[in-house]
Amino acid sequence: MRDPWCVELVRIGAVLPVMLRVLREDLAGVLAHPVWIAPEHVDPAPAFDPSRQQYLVSALMETLLAKPREAGVFIIGVTDVDLFLPVFTHVFGTAQLGGPVGVASEYRLRPEHSGDPSDAGLLRRRLLKEVLHELGHTLGLVHCKASWCAMSPSRLPEQIDLKDAAFCSACAKHTGVPDNSLVSIHSWEGEKK
Amino acid sequence: MTARSPRLLIVDDELHVRESLSAWFTEDGYDVSTASGGKEALAVLGRQKFDVVITDIRMPGMDGIELQRHIHETEPEIAIILVTAYASVSTAVEALKEGAYDYLVKPFDPEEMSRVVEKACEKVHLREENVSLKERINGSRPEMIVGTSRAMQRVLDLVDSVAPTEATVLIRGESGTGKELVARQIHARGPRSFGPMVAVNCGALPEGVLESELFGHEKGSFTGATALRKGKLELADGGTLFLDEIGEISPRVQVDLLRALEDKKIIRVGGTQEVPVDFRVVCATNRDLEEAIREGSFREDLYYRINVFQINLPPLRERPEDILPIAEHFLKKFAHSMGRRVEKFSPEARDLLLKYPWPGNVRELANAVERALVVCHEGEILPKYLPIIARSTSAAFGGPSDDLSLQAIEHQHILKVLEMSEFNVTHAAKSLGIDRVTLYNKMRKYSIERP
Ligand SMILES: Nc1ncnc2c1ncn2[C@@H]1O[C@H](COP(=O)(O)OP(=O)(O)OP(=O)(O)O)[C@@H](O)[C@H]1O
Ligand SMILES: [Mg+2]
Ligand SMILES: [Zn+2]
Ligand SMILES: [Zn+2]
Repeated sequence: MRDPWCVELVRIGAVLPVMLRVLREDLAGVLAHPVWIAPEHVDPAPAFDPSRQQYLVSALMETLLAKPREAGVFIIGVTDVDLFLPVFTHVFGTAQLGGPVGVASEYRLRPEHSGDPSDAGLLRRRLLKEVLHELGHTLGLVHCKASWCAMSPSRLPEQIDLKDAAFCSACAKHTGVPDNSLVSIHSWEGEKK
Repeated sequence: MTARSPRLLIVDDELHVRESLSAWFTEDGYDVSTASGGKEALAVLGRQKFDVVITDIRMPGMDGIELQRHIHETEPEIAIILVTAYASVSTAVEALKEGAYDYLVKPFDPEEMSRVVEKACEKVHLREENVSLKERINGSRPEMIVGTSRAMQRVLDLVDSVAPTEATVLIRGESGTGKELVARQIHARGPRSFGPMVAVNCGALPEGVLESELFGHEKGSFTGATALRKGKLELADGGTLFLDEIGEISPRVQVDLLRALEDKKIIRVGGTQEVPVDFRVVCATNRDLEEAIREGSFREDLYYRINVFQINLPPLRERPEDILPIAEHFLKKFAHSMGRRVEKFSPEARDLLLKYPWPGNVRELANAVERALVVCHEGEILPKYLPIIARSTSAAFGGPSDDLSLQAIEHQHILKVLEMSEFNVTHAAKSLGIDRVTLYNKMRKYSIERP
């Protein structure tokens, strides 16, 4: 069994504090592990790349890594700015596989970004799934074949909508999170490789 | 599905590129290795088997194109994806001509990159599965052919009557009309269904590679041929050989193929010994072979050898009665695999499907339905989830135009789809239901350049 762990959310940039608070509630409900919001706020400006007009996500990760931290604390930065890695046009977020930090952005998850009307409820669900996904990576999970599992990869925001805000049984078991998947109507265990 | 993860080799001289891609694909469940240049890549390839190689084109020392040539000399089945920072249609065409599987431009769109790599792995696995033991034992169960139109009923009758014989079949039809599907049916319902069905896409490989792909090669037959390799003709022994895009074979390989089909014997490249082979032949083409014979690019004797029994697949626009049944078939299939509950098309969406001319035929229809399902939030598919079709039915096909030739419409349509996808060739090709090579060739034909 894995040692006890908990999650610290760090606000980066201008993401609304209320967004972070509902995220904390939602996340704590899914994980049944402690989740809190870090008191400090990170300014993303040093990670800004003027030629791409985007923020370098690895620079933000380094800022988070430089924070003093205790064992068993997984740190997820949550931001409103557009993230990139030099080889990619953009990323929704990123995380160290099995490492302690990850970052997720709401920027491309906003329905307005794909030309739909803004929808705070939809954005809240998408951000929850994206944060859960990056957290899963820090806990050592790779992408999952169960299409509704939070660990299945999403390249488009609409694909995030197809997932549940939960891990499948196999992913839940690996991370020591309660298995909420039994609540869902079908069991797709067979799909997990 | 095979149990092992697909193996990926990433070759780039820049450390940050190797690190980013390696992290990305590791999360995706691939087994990833990296190399910082061509020489190192070849060394790694010598130690381990890979499915897909992603390589930068510009590297000091051996460049990506040269590396690709080296790899394909010995292992033509590895899918190679070339990466460049410079977008140009001509580089792409050159690379693809050399036999690359696909081409990506830096920085990558994560969605596009993942899809290209997934497709490449699927292709490699399909090829392996074609000859897998499982298939030999179960026989493959190909997908259902849907179609109630008279034209399709006739096709099904022809399949019924020819499948149980050993006759050679030539399947003709535009791209995406279902030629491969019909070929698989013929195999599955024929006397050789317990043998393998081995498919060769003759259009996708350069001459030298195709030759060793078809006939195999002896150890030491050329630099890099470090082991004996059986060709597809040998692997098809006891089963069916499916020669896709037969019209694209070069004259030299045509001669060798004709000899093999007539004598039922092959000689591996670099070998002298004859190896007996026994298979049924099914060919497919979307080219006008008679025209090719007149031009001198296709041999008449080979034509008569393969053209014993013909099945013509009509384009979808000539059998509109099939559009809705096929669309519903795919809706059900994709909804099931995605675990979605979308059961029907709205009446307006049905209208739209019927009005559209489907230049990419059934493949385009399948892609449109799959895409609509991904973005659909309601219980039924509405017109707004079929944006490309909605826009082009009102613009290209409803508006006034003096040139109504099929070519002019194709040109207009391709341009429109490219504009709508902001010249993202992968997306446009997917919407059009054709592969990227075909789209690049058509862009060249109509002199369409990226803006
Ligand atoms: N009548 C049909 N019913 C159901 N599915 C079909 C039908 N016709 C084609 N398809 C599907 O459409 C897709 C394209 O078909 P296929 O690959 O056989 O086309 P093709 O003629 O070989 O095209 P190309 O010339 O581009 O290779 C496949 O997914 C196939 O299963
Ligand atoms: Mg085909
Ligand atoms: Zn992920
Ligand atoms: Zn899972």
